[in-house]
Amino acid sequence: MSYDKKNPLKVEGLCKTYPSFRLEDVSFSLAPGMITGFIGRNGAGKTTTINSVLSLVHPDSGEITFFGMPFAEHDREIKEKIGFVSAGMTYYTRKKLQVITDVAKTFYPAWDDGVYRSYMAEFGLDGEKTPAELSNGMKIKYALALALSHGAELLILDEPTSGLDPISREELVETFLKLKDEGKTVFFSTHITSDLEKCADRILFLQQGRLKADDSLDGFRDAWRIAECAGDPTPELKQAAHGLCRTREGYTVLVRKEDAGFPGAREATLEEIMIHLEKEADAE
Amino acid sequence: MKLLMKEWKLCMHPMGYIMPLCAALVLVPGYPYSVSCFYTGLGIFFICLTARENHDAGFTLTLPVSRGDAVRARILFCVLLEVATLALMGVMILVKKAIGGNTPNPAGLDAGLALIGEGMIVFALFNMVFFPCYYRDISKPGKAFAIAAAAVFAWIILEIVATYTVPFFRDYLDRPDPQHMGEKALFTFAGLALLVSGTAWSIKTSVKKFEAQDLNL
Repeated sequence: MSYDKKNPLKVEGLCKTYPSFRLEDVSFSLAPGMITGFIGRNGAGKTTTINSVLSLVHPDSGEITFFGMPFAEHDREIKEKIGFVSAGMTYYTRKKLQVITDVAKTFYPAWDDGVYRSYMAEFGLDGEKTPAELSNGMKIKYALALALSHGAELLILDEPTSGLDPISREELVETFLKLKDEGKTVFFSTHITSDLEKCADRILFLQQGRLKADDSLDGFRDAWRIAECAGDPTPELKQAAHGLCRTREGYTVLVRKEDAGFPGAREATLEEIMIHLEKEADAE
Repeated sequence: MKLLMKEWKLCMHPMGYIMPLCAALVLVPGYPYSVSCFYTGLGIFFICLTARENHDAGFTLTLPVSRGDAVRARILFCVLLEVATLALMGVMILVKKAIGGNTPNPAGLDAGLALIGEGMIVFALFNMVFFPCYYRDISKPGKAFAIAAAAVFAWIILEIVATYTVPFFRDYLDRPDPQHMGEKALFTFAGLALLVSGTAWSIKTSVKKFEAQDLNL
């Protein structure tokens, strides 16, 4: 099987069962040079999906290929072409960044010191500092610098903006957009949907272990409308509703675009869609 | 080799350096000398604990290496510490002899060639118990160490008792060098064989357990 740049990641029929959680038949593929947002509430299965994709956990079933190659048989080759960054993980907090880099770079034939230095300078990182001395945003940037210096073409980011202040999140979003301009593929899990509104081309929405939506950002948003009502929603609105949320004035109701003939219906944000659909799922 | 360097530069805990120095305890009169090998096991536990606290598995498994390579590197690195402990113990035995302190030891084997063999058995036992337990669940190095420590201490107690009750231990192994060097060399060779085969078994078993483990990092 040969390297296929046009298929950075393809997941088919991914299932994983835990005693209290089940990931069911998750299938998707990533388009090259695009930013794909992977959204869902905490516990929806985003990290389980990513861990399964990276073979950190063993799926019960499903096929995973990177660049057209199955991970199990081509793990080293694939790992040279991907970068994984997780916000929850900070490696070797008391070691200097340069020490970590000196170790990491020996594993990558395509490592480029010039690229590394340029990213370190661009991100304002000092190799003499330790991860413990960095803010969360800077830790993510260091992990990105490592990934990009070995020529990663696909970046898998697990909740990279979680716990960051709005300015740091904005900086990271700008970084992702720049990486997209350079032709990198970014797969970005988050529950902070406003970040994705700024940069994502495509949205995968995972709900209770199932892929509820796989669409372009515009297509996903355009399929829904929000109706705001003071007081209780009318029976017709309740009938069309896909989740209700209480507000100070009354309720907001998510309805499909084709059912949106209600007065005051407006475009929905990604966050509103996600929250209302989760409310609907909770109510079921 | 690259992974061994990674172990040294990123996972080594100061206790990993300090504990093998406990081999110098053979200079202390009336001490259960094989316990000094246990201290190196304690150093190994600290390395595994440091690895967990630093999310070493998450870092290592994103590198282009297999899980099996990661396990082999960690165990071989620890074996190097064990070999360093035995080498230092050998040197200290010679020093003790040179300064005339090689008096009979009431707490287990005397400081001599058989003690090196005993050290190899202790390390073999440690490796065979600790690493498979550790790689069953790398988030619980303490549990693996507790089980390994219990096994090692049980063996050390047996060894001490044997120096009083088992004729081969009492009459051949627990005698000052150069008496019964043939028997002692045989015992040491048996220890070496156990260390090599036991560690090889430990690596194979640990790799299987680590490969089967779900890592929710």
